[in-house]
Amino acid sequence: MQVFHIRYRNTQGTLMRILNAVSRRGLDLPYVQAEALEHTHNVTLLLDVNPKQTGQLCRDWHAIVDVTDVRAGAPEDVTHAAADWTATPHPPSSAAISDSTTRAAMA
Amino acid sequence: MLRGADIVLQCLRAEGVDLVFGYPGGAIMPLYDALDGSGIRHILTRHEQGAVFAAEGYARTTGKVGVAIATSGPGATNLVTGIADAKMDSVPLVCITGQVRSNLIGTDAFQETDVFGLTLSLTKWSCLARSIEEIPEVIAQGFHWARSGRPGPVVLDLPVDLLKATMEFRGPAKFTPHAKPADVHIGSSSCETLIALLEQAKKPVALVGAGAKLSGAVPELRRLLDDLNIPTFATVHGLGAVPPEAPYYLGMVGMHGTRAANMALHETDLLLVFGARLDDRVTGDPSRFAPNARIVHFEIDPAQLDRVRACELPVIGDLAETIPAFHQAASRVSLPNWSDWRAVAGGAERAELDPRGLAQPTIRFLDELFSRLPADSIIVADVGQHQMWAAQRYRSSSPRGFITSGGLGAMGFALPAAVGVQLAKPDATVLCVSGDGGFQMNIQELATVHRLGLPVKLVIVDNKYLGMVRQWQQLFYKRNYAETDLSDNPDFVAIAKAYKIHAQRVSEEAMSEFPVASATADVLDRFLQSREPELLVFDCQPEANVFPMVPSGAALSEMMFEKD
Repeated sequence: MQVFHIRYRNTQGTLMRILNAVSRRGLDLPYVQAEALEHTHNVTLLLDVNPKQTGQLCRDWHAIVDVTDVRAGAPEDVTHAAADWTATPHPPSSAAISDSTTRAAMA
Repeated sequence: MLRGADIVLQCLRAEGVDLVFGYPGGAIMPLYDALDGSGIRHILTRHEQGAVFAAEGYARTTGKVGVAIATSGPGATNLVTGIADAKMDSVPLVCITGQVRSNLIGTDAFQETDVFGLTLSLTKWSCLARSIEEIPEVIAQGFHWARSGRPGPVVLDLPVDLLKATMEFRGPAKFTPHAKPADVHIGSSSCETLIALLEQAKKPVALVGAGAKLSGAVPELRRLLDDLNIPTFATVHGLGAVPPEAPYYLGMVGMHGTRAANMALHETDLLLVFGARLDDRVTGDPSRFAPNARIVHFEIDPAQLDRVRACELPVIGDLAETIPAFHQAASRVSLPNWSDWRAVAGGAERAELDPRGLAQPTIRFLDELFSRLPADSIIVADVGQHQMWAAQRYRSSSPRGFITSGGLGAMGFALPAAVGVQLAKPDATVLCVSGDGGFQMNIQELATVHRLGLPVKLVIVDNKYLGMVRQWQQLFYKRNYAETDLSDNPDFVAIAKAYKIHAQRVSEEAMSEFPVASATADVLDRFLQSREPELLVFDCQPEANVFPMVPSGAALSEMMFEKD
């Protein structure tokens, strides 16, 4: 596993272009975190890549118009933030229909 | 107060645009409504793919940004192949697409497609405009990215309500990009390293790609190669960068390259790459590509480095700057004389170029045509066997004289691209070479040719097969010609005549004599000298193959030949 830190100007589609460089190679994305940092943005990716892929990815990212800096580093302790699953599900789930209600409706 | 549509057109004029290609529809109607009197000529094609390929043809032959316009939804999706093609072949292209009203975006409205998302991985830059005030900046930025650095495609998606809205227009915007730290150029230490590599090399070679032409570095490159005098070859997009008569030139390299070029590349110990991506059609099996070579890669786009093999020395920057810088440094030292190596590497090449030694009638046919072309002619090739035959036989030293869909390999490219080329170069002879399969992919553009009265010279090499696929089926799939038979092709001569384009056939037998009979020569002369659109259908031997051929996954040294 390798960690990549990519700084970019948060213009339309730039984050998606960064992620496309990964998805077009069929690589899994076990961890992604994007955040605003003063005047720029940073996205951190954790990827299982070989050295050749690392080189290709870094160069592809660097070629994206609004990417300003690309760094590769050793894996860090990147943990998923706890998701908030208490909110109302969306789209709303169907109301439960009892067997008797169903039979009545179909009668 | 000006409408958004008028502002778009004024901004296009400010970018130097006077010719656009397109196809109208609902969401782009305000732009079409504003065209009259804008100073911009619009070419109506008969399909959006025709428009984008025509814009590419225009851009490839002029170096200017080509512009294609389409409506939302299917209009935009029909542009996608051309956008991908422009990305692969580094073509400066701006596609302007109409979009549904801003308040309908995301609702799956009629003819709504997420063209921004759809083309993200195909474009160099793109933008969905969100206000009329953004339009000048969006256009300025789009054109900047399309033409700067390694050129490429840009998509500007404009919701119809922005095109209808009005605002006080203060003039086109100027865009100044942020500097990137990788915009470096060759330094003295790089020159010293490169000179040291050359001094150690016993078998140096040079590989020339499209980048040398796109950067306008051809004169500097030729001067450098004249001085180095090392075996040199070109990719399909590098054809014309080096004069074919140069004593060190070995022709095209790669899957259907010459024996001499491929063997020299396989044996070299120092490979100088000038603006080439080194894709698989050039390298063969990457693990066995130039196995003994150190690689020096002159390239404007750092993303192209080390894709196949790590290079010893990357020289990042515009070749128009890096080549002269290196040449100047190299001229101060005495480099080895590699004439013995050059003689060995090029020994077989001259015989290979002699048309009398070739029994293949289609090659003879192309040779007869090419030998009659004026010097400033432009050949536009479609995709398939005829493309490779044409590339093998191309003998011009015109850097932008051979145009084809090389990276994407998009069948149907040539006919609409030839429209764009002929409009850009109205006095030049434009020879469009297609196969019977590819011609039918955009056959509707015959109507565009007729309407404009373009004197394009159209050739169909008609073997009644999807020839290149059939060749692979013959060689690698035990002759299982699955779904490649086109023996029920329509009568192309009759079709052309229905579009009011003069057409005739040339039989394969006509190419059996050398030189050709005077009657055949007259047909070819009249075809090329006409100032009207013309179609010539060449009845090609159905099972003719393109050789040499490096099988997919093989090394360049493992070429197949006809006699194999």
